[in-house]
Amino acid sequence: MLDILTSFYGLIPVTIAQSLIVAFVVLGVMLPFRILNFPDLTSEGAFPLGGCVCGTLITMGVNPFLACGVALLCGFLAGCTTAFIHLRFKINTLLAGILVMTMLYSINLRIMGRTNIPLFTYDTIFTILAGPSANVSWVKIIIVGALIALVVGAMLYFFMSEKGTSMRAVGASPDMAEAQGINVSIATIMGVGVASALSATGGSIMVQTQGFVDVNMGFGILINGLAALIIGEAITGRQTIFRQVMAPVVGSIVYYQLISFCLTLGLAPADLKFATGAFVLLMLALPNLRKSGSGTQIREKVRE
Amino acid sequence: MTTDMLAVTGGTKIFYRGTLDERRALDGLNIALRPGDFCIVIGSNGAGKSSFLNAVSGKLPLDSGRIKIDGQDVTKLNAHRRAQFIARVFQDPMIGTAPTMTIGENMLLAELRGKPRGFSYGLTTARKARYREQLSELNLGLENRLDMPVGLLSGGQRQSLSLVMAVSTRPKLLLLDEHTAALDPRTAKLVMDTTVRAVEELKLTTLMVTHNMEHAIKYGNKIVMMDAGKVLLEIGQEEKNGITVPDLIDRFHTKSDAIALQGS
Repeated sequence: MLDILTSFYGLIPVTIAQSLIVAFVVLGVMLPFRILNFPDLTSEGAFPLGGCVCGTLITMGVNPFLACGVALLCGFLAGCTTAFIHLRFKINTLLAGILVMTMLYSINLRIMGRTNIPLFTYDTIFTILAGPSANVSWVKIIIVGALIALVVGAMLYFFMSEKGTSMRAVGASPDMAEAQGINVSIATIMGVGVASALSATGGSIMVQTQGFVDVNMGFGILINGLAALIIGEAITGRQTIFRQVMAPVVGSIVYYQLISFCLTLGLAPADLKFATGAFVLLMLALPNLRKSGSGTQIREKVRE
Repeated sequence: MTTDMLAVTGGTKIFYRGTLDERRALDGLNIALRPGDFCIVIGSNGAGKSSFLNAVSGKLPLDSGRIKIDGQDVTKLNAHRRAQFIARVFQDPMIGTAPTMTIGENMLLAELRGKPRGFSYGLTTARKARYREQLSELNLGLENRLDMPVGLLSGGQRQSLSLVMAVSTRPKLLLLDEHTAALDPRTAKLVMDTTVRAVEELKLTTLMVTHNMEHAIKYGNKIVMMDAGKVLLEIGQEEKNGITVPDLIDRFHTKSDAIALQGS
């Protein structure tokens, strides 16, 4: 038992660093699901897209910060595409997301030209900022933590601004939002775009810490993100916009520690996706089992 | 001669055109409101009252015909663009407000209706003070609950809030879509009294759809009866004085088929 605890303890910093990177994706999952009431799967494709774009540009000698910026932009376009497909052709949001995600797989392969690229020998944002100590977990935590703090702060401010309030209204009540002069389509496209941009940013940072790009790296990231979001919301609650924006970060940190703990306890990595899926299913089913109607419902709504 | 505040000419909307189910929701509708008119729209279910309001608000684009608000042709404008002229209170209290957002945030959304929204902070202290003042006139205590989510309010409170949100910007046109129909009689009266006070005080040009014949007689300066997507009958202020519910129903019946009406 003691060895298990020791090895778990030893993994804590690595896991925190990883969870802070995934927190970008969880924020990107939260925004469409919770703020816009637009269940979206684009993250699953935007995360590897960010990684592929960023990794490929880095191997071409582009500045890693610029590479991250381009990755972010590509993610934004992917999200906008999903929202546009839903709004223009009245295709279910989940299906629109799957379409974009599937097409992105080919695009990612085309961008890279092969299924994986090693990045060990190239400069990354971490080697530029921290030099030789770039691989120390605490250094990664500080750098990624600062980025996440910046993003969370910006999101909080935005959602309390005039524009951000109107974006929240679109998710809360599209009819009301339209009657108040808000362009529901534009707000939806921008919101889903920003969400996918966050996921892509997460992907671009992830490849730089793990030292390689793999076209399959996003597999299951959405369900991980959803699980983290649900745990986060159980801890922080959703009553205020502050709690809602904090939930992804808190959830991501707690969720990855839980995973790490389960793995050190002996859970086979092969069973991990099943366990995560079962957990999300349970959390989504709970309100129905209790017949209370509230809780973690995810509604599908077609905007007209 | 002043311009009409609202002018609909030849408003036509046909659903399922060219099929067996073809239905003329609006059939060459003509209507004009002078500034300050408080017009009550009545008619049976399917007469086109809701289609009329939706056409004016922009939710339902016309197949043909024109709509002018204060002289400006808005026929081609989307609903969210027309919101700069129009405020609307819906029948369903759940639709008119954003339930997961606070009372203050809802007031903010209404204040900025049809105006450019920027990146500056939304609920400033000055705005909150103004909202408190506006809400205190309702005497519902909402002014002390600016940070409470609207979803926690009762239907009547939400409808009262919707009304304050609608009138606070002094819209050129106020649309009331059976806005008291979903409320209990006492609350309905409260909301109706508030409506009348606001409309008269601010001299708002108003279109109110109702099924309540007593309301149609008691309030407003003009009654428009609709049937089959057209205006069947217009009753002005002078004619309206002294008219009774049976008179009104009688005139309705002589003009159209027998219709079951609420409030008779």
